Amino acid sequence: MKKNITSILALTVICSVVAVLLAVTNAITAPIIEKNAAAAADEALLVVLPEGEGFTPVDLTTYELPATVTEAFTENNGGVVVKLKTSGYGSDMVVMVGIKADGSVSGAVCLSSNETLGYEKTYGESTVGMTADTIDSLDTIAGATKTTEAYKNAVKDALNTAVILGGGSVDIRDEAQILADNLSAALPAGEGAFEKVFITEVLTDVSAVYKATNGSGYVFVSGETFVGTDAQGTVVSQVDATLSATIAANAQLIINSELTEVDLSGYEMPKQIEKAYTTATGNYVFELKAAGFGINGDEYYYPSGEHIKIKMSLTADGTIIYCETTYQNESEGIGSACADEAFYSQFNGKTAETYGDIDAIAGATITTNGYKTAVSKTFEAIKILKGEV
Amino acid sequence: MNKESNMTVLLKGILRENPVFVLILGTCPTLATTTTVKGAFAMGLAAAAVLICSNAVVSLLRKIIPDSMRIPCYIVIIAGFVTIVQMIMHAFLPELYELLGVYLALITVNCIILGRAEMFAGKNTVGKSILDGIGMGLGFTIAMLAMATIREVFGAGTFFGIEIPFLSTHTIDILIKAPGGLMVYGLLIAVVNIITKGKAIKKKEFSCAGCPSAGICNGGCATAEKEAE
Repeated sequence: MKKNITSILALTVICSVVAVLLAVTNAITAPIIEKNAAAAADEALLVVLPEGEGFTPVDLTTYELPATVTEAFTENNGGVVVKLKTSGYGSDMVVMVGIKADGSVSGAVCLSSNETLGYEKTYGESTVGMTADTIDSLDTIAGATKTTEAYKNAVKDALNTAVILGGGSVDIRDEAQILADNLSAALPAGEGAFEKVFITEVLTDVSAVYKATNGSGYVFVSGETFVGTDAQGTVVSQVDATLSATIAANAQLIINSELTEVDLSGYEMPKQIEKAYTTATGNYVFELKAAGFGINGDEYYYPSGEHIKIKMSLTADGTIIYCETTYQNESEGIGSACADEAFYSQFNGKTAETYGDIDAIAGATITTNGYKTAVSKTFEAIKILKGEV
Repeated sequence: MNKESNMTVLLKGILRENPVFVLILGTCPTLATTTTVKGAFAMGLAAAAVLICSNAVVSLLRKIIPDSMRIPCYIVIIAGFVTIVQMIMHAFLPELYELLGVYLALITVNCIILGRAEMFAGKNTVGKSILDGIGMGLGFTIAMLAMATIREVFGAGTFFGIEIPFLSTHTIDILIKAPGGLMVYGLLIAVVNIITKGKAIKKKEFSCAGCPSAGICNGGCATAEKEAE
């Protein structure tokens, strides 16, 4: 018994003494280890802000920052380092941006990415010296638009973050958010849910029309102004009398617009024309399939290729009213730009003589040519339907 | 009680009873951390520091620690010293701390240290135990350096991280991998055997009586059975 107690006692005493020694060592070394770790972390931040010293993490919850911001640090001289997570072409892309006290980018690096082309490795260098005012003018790289666009937006978010952390205020909404806010402001009854209307009539001073999905009315975009109407076309927004009258007239055209499908079996149509409709006012609407990159013009040579689907409306004399890409499966980041409004809206107002005067998609000649060929066939189709050929 | 002179106690660890090449102890860290001379040197010094301290304390407490409790007590003492060394290295030599990684913590179960506590420090005076620790630590470090020099110079073409002309472009890659480590280890054991022909400690001199597991084994292992025959 005595032997057992001695054993337990000896081990307990040894353990206690060792514990005390460890506590003492820890008390001495822990602050140094912590300081080293902080210095190592600072070193990583110095990559983008070389003259920075004494970084302090920012509590992100106390500010309303862009959603992409994951970490932010302020520095003694007024500089800021922001870490952001954005979606590139492949998957998430983590970007770290350093911003000097004067609000210009001192460096930007991509910390992790899974992009295919690798442009994110060097694109950061081109953002050096940019400020919140000039970042929009920075070019994206053709062929890697999605990657570089995401990168550029991340840098822009970082610059905005620096402004916000410095006590300023910026509009951190993206374009989609701004549009949604404008639509809701013009027609609160729409409850924030709108869809774009495919325009089949010639409208005056209107660039786009949105319909509230709950049927409460329409929003007309005239220049920078968003004008709401109810379902009957009565203007509900506070605008001057002239604009109000114009919008009301436009609204009647949209509300009364009705499509009648044309039976194409009696016509020998170009193979791009899938469906044709006429409106009460004598306009034409076509559903087209264009041969994109996968199909190479008119010839099928690539089995996995898919057609681009286009919907177009034209006046009876062959002026394009509205053009929209409804489906595409072109190369992501290259030919896929045919689904961007910036591309297809170029055709609006064009005729058989002028439809070719559009900016081609950079790096996607075959897609652009296939698209243009399909568009050109609509002029032919109108003549066929009218019995002119 | 050991009757050897202090000088013998100090020097025997270097060659005659070299822990790595003669006693074949501490094989795991020897193979794992000898890919670079820097890592091997740091590992050798860290292990030597723990060995000297634990030998001293174990020897000091040899009359207090009950026989049946000695292994847990030794482990607690050794683990304590290892943790202290680990904390100090983390604070003041962060680069080496990263380099040694998990093997630093594994010094706790390094059989050289436990082996010396059991074979020597548990039975000898504090002074001799410290000398034994210094000798064995030195022997371990020298062995590590010898292995690492061969492996780094011929395997990576560098020495202490400095590139060696010609060799850096003609490396024997296998040397810095595990099989190469075993090969160099085997060759060095052979070399030590040749040098110490007849003078190195005989296997039976440290088997059973000097074995750290003797208390638990009770003559049940193959070596013991062979000895009994």
